[in-house]
Amino acid sequence: MQLTDTGESRVNGYLFVLERSLKTFLPSDTVRDAVREIESHLRERIAAADGAPNERVVLEQILGELGPPLRVAQAYSAERTVDEAVATGRFVPTVRAVTHLAATTAWGFVLAFWLFIGYAVAFAFFAIAILKPIFPNNVGIQFVHGFPVGFGAHFPLEPGVELGGGYWIVPLAAACGLGIFVGTHRGARRMLARWRERRVS
Amino acid sequence: MSHETWQEQLRRGSLDLAILLTVSSGPRYGLSIIQHLEAFTDLVVTEGTIYPILGRLTREGLLDATWVEGEAAHPRKYYRLTRAGSKRLDHMKREWREFADKITRLIDAAEGHDHAAH
Repeated sequence: MQLTDTGESRVNGYLFVLERSLKTFLPSDTVRDAVREIESHLRERIAAADGAPNERVVLEQILGELGPPLRVAQAYSAERTVDEAVATGRFVPTVRAVTHLAATTAWGFVLAFWLFIGYAVAFAFFAIAILKPIFPNNVGIQFVHGFPVGFGAHFPLEPGVELGGGYWIVPLAAACGLGIFVGTHRGARRMLARWRERRVS
Repeated sequence: MSHETWQEQLRRGSLDLAILLTVSSGPRYGLSIIQHLEAFTDLVVTEGTIYPILGRLTREGLLDATWVEGEAAHPRKYYRLTRAGSKRLDHMKREWREFADKITRLIDAAEGHDHAAH
């Protein structure tokens, strides 16, 4: 079947939405390959429908059987991002996979929330370890009337607040940050692996 | 678990095996794989979701993918089973048969028990 301009626009529109959706999660070379393969599928199906009287009906049927572009993109993202995260264990793919699950599933959102807290606390400890040598009089344990009320950095230090803790805070904060980061990351990877075992498509 | 959920899990759980079986006879491109699956099974609900699975099986080294141009009006991406894929398929076939035999025996035993009770 030779498509009219309207038909071509419909196909290009589908591929455009698919490409835009895939770009959210996948590297550009993977997106190009995926869109090329889906286009090949569409062109093949359209060519096979040669002689059909109503282009619009045939095209909608072909696109309907292929599935909405967002559904197809979601399947690609689920397969790719989670696999990459579980296989490599790298930070960026893991965050990408968790973000994807948070956007598509309810439990993924809850998981992402707790992981965000874990990563944020870990980075806060790292920040303390880095800032202490630079701002020794602003980073440490804060005391009010002799009682510890906080741990971190204050710019400027509020009146009545005394700062305790020497440079030993640096290795302590670094160790805490590393421990929390590794724990959070392992938890994320384990949850993603469990999710991957349960899904197939 | 609802009956629909169970059916869906069964369908999803067998798709990898079905795809590997489809390409075991020789290289096929995406649409050809889908058409073969549709001819023999009702495993394909949404055609577009087969491609991500093909991508995953390729990344896992079970399939090898190659773009072929000039054969049709549009380039086709052909998939063929790798040696690792062939080995995995043998394992999956054996496990599937053993699993199916066990469940069949269980069904037969349950039905035999029912008949005896009646």
